[in-house]
Amino acid sequence: MELPAPVRAVDLALSTIAPYGRPDLEARLRQTRARLLDDRIRVLIVGEFKQGKSMLVNALVSAPVCPVYDDVATAVPTVVQFAEEPVLTVVRQHDGADGPVEQRTSRADVPLPELSEAVAAHVAESHNPDNRQKLHHVEVGVPRHLLQAGLEIVDTPGVGGLNSVHGAATMSALPTADAVLLVSDASQEYTAPELEFLSRAVRLCPNVACVLTKTDLYPEWRRIAELDRGHLRTAGVDAELIAVSSQVRWQAVTTGDLDLNAESGFAELEEYLVRRVLGQADLLSRRSTVHDVLAVTDQICDSLRAERAARSDPARAQEIVRELTGAQGRAAALKERSARWQHTLNDGVTDLNADIDHDLRDRMREVTRLAEEEIDGGGDPTRTWEQLTTWVQQQVASAASANFVWATERARWLARQVSTHFDDQREAVLPALRTEASAALGAVREMKVREGESFSFGQQALTGLRGGYIGVLMFGFIGTIVGLSLLNPFSIGAGLLLGGKTISDERRRVVTRRQAEAKTVVRRYVDDVTFQVGKDSRDMLRGVQRDLRDHFTDLAEQLTRSLKESLTATERSATASKEDRVRRIAEIDTELARLETLQARVGTLLPEATPNAPRPVVAAR
Amino acid sequence: MARAVLVQAVEAYRHDPTVSGWLAQQVARLDGPLRIAVAGKVKAGKSTLLNALVGEQIAPADAGECTKVVTWYRAGRQPRITLFPRQGAPVGLAVDRRDGALVIDLGGTPVDDVDHLEVDWPTPSLRVASLIDTPGIASMSTEVGKRALRFLDPEDERPTEADAVVYLMRHLHAADAEFLEAFRDQGVSQSAGVNAVAVISRADEIGGGRVDAMVSARAVARRYRTEPVLRGLAQNVVAVAGLLAETARTLRHTEFAALAALAAVPREDLESALLTADRFLRPDADIAGLAADDRARLLRRFGVFGLRLGTVLIRQGYASPAALAAELLDRSGLHDLQQALDAQFVQRRDVLKARSALLAVLRVVADAPARDGGRLAAEVERIFADAHEFAELRLLGALRSRAVTLPGELAAEAQALLGERGAAAPARLGLPADAPAAALRDAALTALDRWQRRAENPMLPRGPADACRVVVRTCEGLLATLDRVPAYGR
Repeated sequence: MELPAPVRAVDLALSTIAPYGRPDLEARLRQTRARLLDDRIRVLIVGEFKQGKSMLVNALVSAPVCPVYDDVATAVPTVVQFAEEPVLTVVRQHDGADGPVEQRTSRADVPLPELSEAVAAHVAESHNPDNRQKLHHVEVGVPRHLLQAGLEIVDTPGVGGLNSVHGAATMSALPTADAVLLVSDASQEYTAPELEFLSRAVRLCPNVACVLTKTDLYPEWRRIAELDRGHLRTAGVDAELIAVSSQVRWQAVTTGDLDLNAESGFAELEEYLVRRVLGQADLLSRRSTVHDVLAVTDQICDSLRAERAARSDPARAQEIVRELTGAQGRAAALKERSARWQHTLNDGVTDLNADIDHDLRDRMREVTRLAEEEIDGGGDPTRTWEQLTTWVQQQVASAASANFVWATERARWLARQVSTHFDDQREAVLPALRTEASAALGAVREMKVREGESFSFGQQALTGLRGGYIGVLMFGFIGTIVGLSLLNPFSIGAGLLLGGKTISDERRRVVTRRQAEAKTVVRRYVDDVTFQVGKDSRDMLRGVQRDLRDHFTDLAEQLTRSLKESLTATERSATASKEDRVRRIAEIDTELARLETLQARVGTLLPEATPNAPRPVVAAR
Repeated sequence: MARAVLVQAVEAYRHDPTVSGWLAQQVARLDGPLRIAVAGKVKAGKSTLLNALVGEQIAPADAGECTKVVTWYRAGRQPRITLFPRQGAPVGLAVDRRDGALVIDLGGTPVDDVDHLEVDWPTPSLRVASLIDTPGIASMSTEVGKRALRFLDPEDERPTEADAVVYLMRHLHAADAEFLEAFRDQGVSQSAGVNAVAVISRADEIGGGRVDAMVSARAVARRYRTEPVLRGLAQNVVAVAGLLAETARTLRHTEFAALAALAAVPREDLESALLTADRFLRPDADIAGLAADDRARLLRRFGVFGLRLGTVLIRQGYASPAALAAELLDRSGLHDLQQALDAQFVQRRDVLKARSALLAVLRVVADAPARDGGRLAAEVERIFADAHEFAELRLLGALRSRAVTLPGELAAEAQALLGERGAAAPARLGLPADAPAAALRDAALTALDRWQRRAENPMLPRGPADACRVVVRTCEGLLATLDRVPAYGR
């Protein structure tokens, strides 16, 4: 397989800068290269259950990958990605000494037509009820052109619906996704949970699209589509709505009928994935490649240029040395812990921690308050206990997910804040590096976010009920209920028969005691969740902080080193003989020309018409 | 008994005309038909199912959210529609039928000002039970959803106007369970799921409209029946293809002719034409020579599933409108629902109505204490505690929601005896409906014997032991009714 253009550009840059002996810059480019090669573009398929999610995935990749049943089917997330030959990988996750450990089992002996049955043995609710096999997710590789560019389609379980604990888990997986497709069938317009999900999703994920399925079955689908668009407008959700029929597409795939394929509406969906999702991801990776290569070569060019200036005009050498020393001082200051951006970052994280924690507590307190009101007003809590616990769990999950959305948004905002700050500093140091700083940050954010390392929520998210933080606590919750003695309705019946004041007094006392017990249990549960979620978001912020710090410190280090090289070269030139100087100037010119050619070539990675395309490389000099 | 308490209550509240008037209505309600509400989420197919149950297109159904106000359908001498505004006197509305379907025009009254509509219709189907159509809950236009909730679960804690509810859902969502819980949570005789039947409506869509879709739908219904969440909430779960049932009950000759013409089209061509709704409606397509708007009308009436199934059946030899309608009806699952309604609501209508009436008295006493209030409340409590019918209902509810547990198969047997599958003796004893009286008597005797021994088992904890005693009394009651019929009488 031919390497993609950005990777080739990076390889070219690596070989070009090899003679300069700058391992730090080479390391940076190699990192870029590794990221490009490893890049996956993840598309999450979400929706209420029985909306046709699995069928949509099958129709999209035109292969029987996900099992489709008339009854609730998918219980474990299925990741569909490219592979030369069909391959099925089952991924389990268990807690190791340091963090979760993945255990993968692959088999490549399943022919394509039997794939969905093999997958069903792991993901179907009927074969693996309540995920007894304790799977984290299942990966399926299929030889399909659409997936070749790194597209990864994730079929999420619809169990429990959008506003369940599962739904909250799906929500926390959103920041790691490049696109989200909300699947809803054409039988009815959007429901409140779906719209709520959408309006949260657009805040977390760059591409959100709505897919209206089963248009073959419902003559009125156009009206439903219109109604849905209206709901989207009213809710202020900017998302495309694409109507498809997986059934027709499937028919088209099996018969090879092109007209049918056009009828199925999948052309538009593919177009969306290729143009918007892949296109955007590709543009982003090109942009970050161009930025990295330019930043690296610029640093070499700058020191060459400084040397050239000093050699061609020895009189100005002192001045140049002074300027460079100043610049180096400022660059060195950036490395220090006392640098202004460090302050912004540290203060920002501290503030954020406090705010997010407060927000979380506030939301949870509200849940507790409502639950207590419910218990006080509801008589004997043992009667309504089951409903009450479900309700509390839902509310807590929803509060945690709302808090998470907010925390993610704020963290991103902070990253931007720090970068602008850094930007100003850098402008003072080295004006030529001014542009594309935001893309650099974008690259950091994309990379980190996508790997999901700094967002431990995201990793746990797909675990859903089992192993996820909510899951563990939920079992804890159920465990505590047992402690609450059950009230036997027959003893009440007997009490009524006997009549009399004592018994009703006794009953009142028992009820009051039970209400107090129930309130304690709810409070303890909410406290546990608050504690765990609070810890998770603190960890997430710490991760963000560390990533940003490392990123910017590295940059500062590279800058200092480049400036130091320029300084040495310039100082050396002051003592050189005239012939040496002329020869060196010629050398420098050749090298500069080489580097500039490289920059020009890398610059072609970006489409001309992009409004915020980087400056033309040569002209800026 | 319930009547006597009600009459006493009317007397006690004579000083308050609103309350006594309302109580008098409750007395009248005891003599009236059972009131069954049809409820469910938006677009669950409530109006369609109501039409199917009535056998006429009297509830307007269409693709948007259409039922916006609570509408009562009652048996009447002649068609009459009455609008009850929130304030002011009832207004009569014009009865207008278009294309066989009733069209209700509110005559300019804003939907928000309407309390409810009453439609009187001359049909035997409504004589046993009045049906109440409600707006969809979890509806996007939340005001509409609220209207349904206000009706079925009134905020002022009045008992609802409905005696029983048929709850429609497409799949079991959290909102469905919440709704059923809201309907269940009522007062003293809180009896889980004794007055609710859940219906998987639009069942044909579960299998994507394939000809065998109903097989899948029934399997899903079976699974739901054992689902713990639902067990405590509804007595039964049945799958019904509402549109198919409605059309089958109102099949017209022209429609049969059109369907027969479709069945004559070569199979592959027809399958291709019926692959999507869009294809079938394509203006330029030539399908059995049917005009585009005829096809549109057919599709509205049958749905893709109905058309696929109907043509297949005609090919299989259901060659007359009557035969086709009967077969479609059978496949739609409506019979299952009718049986469930009969066994669970109609046969037990007196208990359900009395329960509603007694709850009404309790509420009134709690809201506006009267001189005799305490005595009235005690009386009601006594009836609830004493009357064996209520004990049965309560135990049934407790068993279903697992508040009381009996080991293994005992629970199932107890529930059957308590009348879960129908209040008639054969249903309780698990025998066919036409079983001879002698067989019934034998079965009842053995059951009595079995349960007496169980009730005396000293190892049983108190709750289950009490439960066994209730079952014993049920068996005794059964024997008593059976003895009234001479054993050789059949």
